[in-house]
Amino acid sequence: MKKRTLLGLVAACGLSFGLVGTAYADQLADIKSRGKIVAATEMHFAPFDILIDGQYQGICRDLFDEVAKELGVEVEYLDLPWSSVLPGLEAGKFDIVNAPVTITAERSARYRFTLPMGNATVALLKKAGDGTINAPADIAGKAAGSQKGSAQLEQLKVYAAGLPQPVDVREYVNIDEAMADLAAGRIQAVANSMPLMGYAAVQRPEVFELVMPPFGAPKFFAWVARPGEETASLVAAINAALLKMHEDGRLDAINEKWLGAAPDLPTTMPAVN
Amino acid sequence: MELDLYVRYGPALLSGFGVTILCWIVGSLGGLVLGFAIACLYQWSGTWLRGALQAYIEVVRGTPFMIQLFILYYGGPYFGLVLDPVPAGILGFMVYGSPYFAEIFRSGFQSFPKGQLEAARCVGIDEWTAVRRIMLPQMLVSITAPLTNFFIILTKETAILSVVTVPELLAETQTMAAETFTYVEPFLVLSLFYWFMVEFTSWLGKRVEARVTRHLQRA
Amino acid sequence: MDFSFQVIIRNLPYLLSAAKWTIALSLVGMAIGLVLGVLICAARVSGNSWLRRAAGIYISFFRGVPLLVQLLMFFYMLPYVGLNLPATVAAVASIGMCSAAYIAEIVRGSLQAIPRGQAEAAEALGIAPLALWRRILIPQALRIGLPSLMNELILLVKVSSLASVVGIGELTRIAQNITGQTYRPLEIYLTAAVIYLVINAVLATAGRAGERRLSIWVGR
Repeated sequence: MKKRTLLGLVAACGLSFGLVGTAYADQLADIKSRGKIVAATEMHFAPFDILIDGQYQGICRDLFDEVAKELGVEVEYLDLPWSSVLPGLEAGKFDIVNAPVTITAERSARYRFTLPMGNATVALLKKAGDGTINAPADIAGKAAGSQKGSAQLEQLKVYAAGLPQPVDVREYVNIDEAMADLAAGRIQAVANSMPLMGYAAVQRPEVFELVMPPFGAPKFFAWVARPGEETASLVAAINAALLKMHEDGRLDAINEKWLGAAPDLPTTMPAVN
Repeated sequence: MELDLYVRYGPALLSGFGVTILCWIVGSLGGLVLGFAIACLYQWSGTWLRGALQAYIEVVRGTPFMIQLFILYYGGPYFGLVLDPVPAGILGFMVYGSPYFAEIFRSGFQSFPKGQLEAARCVGIDEWTAVRRIMLPQMLVSITAPLTNFFIILTKETAILSVVTVPELLAETQTMAAETFTYVEPFLVLSLFYWFMVEFTSWLGKRVEARVTRHLQRA
Repeated sequence: MDFSFQVIIRNLPYLLSAAKWTIALSLVGMAIGLVLGVLICAARVSGNSWLRRAAGIYISFFRGVPLLVQLLMFFYMLPYVGLNLPATVAAVASIGMCSAAYIAEIVRGSLQAIPRGQAEAAEALGIAPLALWRRILIPQALRIGLPSLMNELILLVKVSSLASVVGIGELTRIAQNITGQTYRPLEIYLTAAVIYLVINAVLATAGRAGERRLSIWVGR
């Protein structure tokens, strides 16, 4: 707890000494000369980003730690509310977003994504024992929630628009709160990426159940850097590290540790529409 | 400034505004009634009840509105209270506002010259009628200013309702900002909007005060 | 309903540690607010009509917009105008600027309670306006306005909970984090509420004690 705050404070001091706001000739070179990369995420996205007893853990942490090892730098992790993460990246408050961000066409136009590191296809979570929802289409006429500002929320809205009865779509500040409301019975379903929903169902089977199959187009999670020439080498280096982890099995091992089964991840950038 | 953005999100923003106004009016009036009840109870009750009411006032005034909302909304289901966001928001407003309203009424009661009530009793007017027809109308004069002031403060507190998913104006603006990747401009517009709303309500409040104290201004 | 004290006891250290940030945010915000507030008050009562109007607009804006919206706007807007402050600094600056508007009004009201004769006597004695402000008017205004200023500080303690929305690790945000982990909102938020109450009760008592001590001087 104290360590994280201290790290945050150190990162903040470091950042405040005029490191940002100016375009780097090459962000990777800069990071290597500093010996440290500053990554931000919202640590409320189990199993990708979790806070356990004040310590940051999860798939993203394990993966990014490995990538940083390949790059030969240390990592400083920041915990920000999701709504501040992408704006914070644009504003130069940190180097990279190591949150699982869904690759969408709009985001690709504004940011530079790394290779995918997770499966982001949307699935629904329901309350355990709820016999009225057996397929995604059964949420017609009910209340479903997701996280504000997430691609999954947008996909839910699009999906709900195509259903015969209207769905009351609720927007939550973070996904934990959506799941709390599902447990309380205020909403009947939560939409998010399949790994997240699957993890919740596995962790608390007496409260949650996964609704199969996932719906919408297949999507992937990746990390995000600023657009422009200066991040090209950084993202290339991260991709190279990810590819290496594909080959030597570290990627699969980490995913299996948290999810039970490793998802099939492409080794080239997927097409987005 | 892209106007078509605001046109596209117009309905959502308008709906958010509607929710803001709804929570503000219903919540504030509820808080006013509750506060009045508390002040009356306080005035005409024994030490035990007074102590409990005082404790209630201190507790609600000493804790942040956000924490109160979290307890009501997220903690509620654990003691049997499962409310949807808007009703929860209104209830939260009522609870949050009640001690402030209670204090306003209480100071109104206390600053009222007791002599009038005693005189009323002397001429045979019963206590309840005396309160209703002599004390309250005159009290209205002294408490109108703090009342309208607090109503105005409450318009700003509606923004905090966004943290418990109440789809009010700030929440809708945040959705718009996230979906269109425009983070600064919508908030700028939102601030100007709140500013205008508060100034307008202040102006209205002054008109109400002037009307209520009109009889005092005659030479 | 099963209320678990165990959860409270296990997480109390984290909550108390976060409470330190709450106190820090409030105190620094108050300090900024006091300094800025006195300056704005000076502008508000000055002879220069432009200064008066500018101060008036400042006060009207910062009292007319919800603090949460101010925080978000400040937080997102700063980098685009070239200022890149760490989150904590941005939050404190925003809280301080808002509080300054209220403090300016408190000080203005207190100044009105000081007998005009003092200012006139000072002018007659040739005391410079700055010295008049610094050594005669402001100290008295702060003493007279002490109850309202203590109130403002208590308000700031409560308002610091808004900083959670921009990710500052103060009491409310840590409570949210712990709730996300333990699924026990009632226990955790109630504990957080109690901690806020304790802080405010201490401040209120200190305020009353301070008032009593200083009023020995004021009364004659």
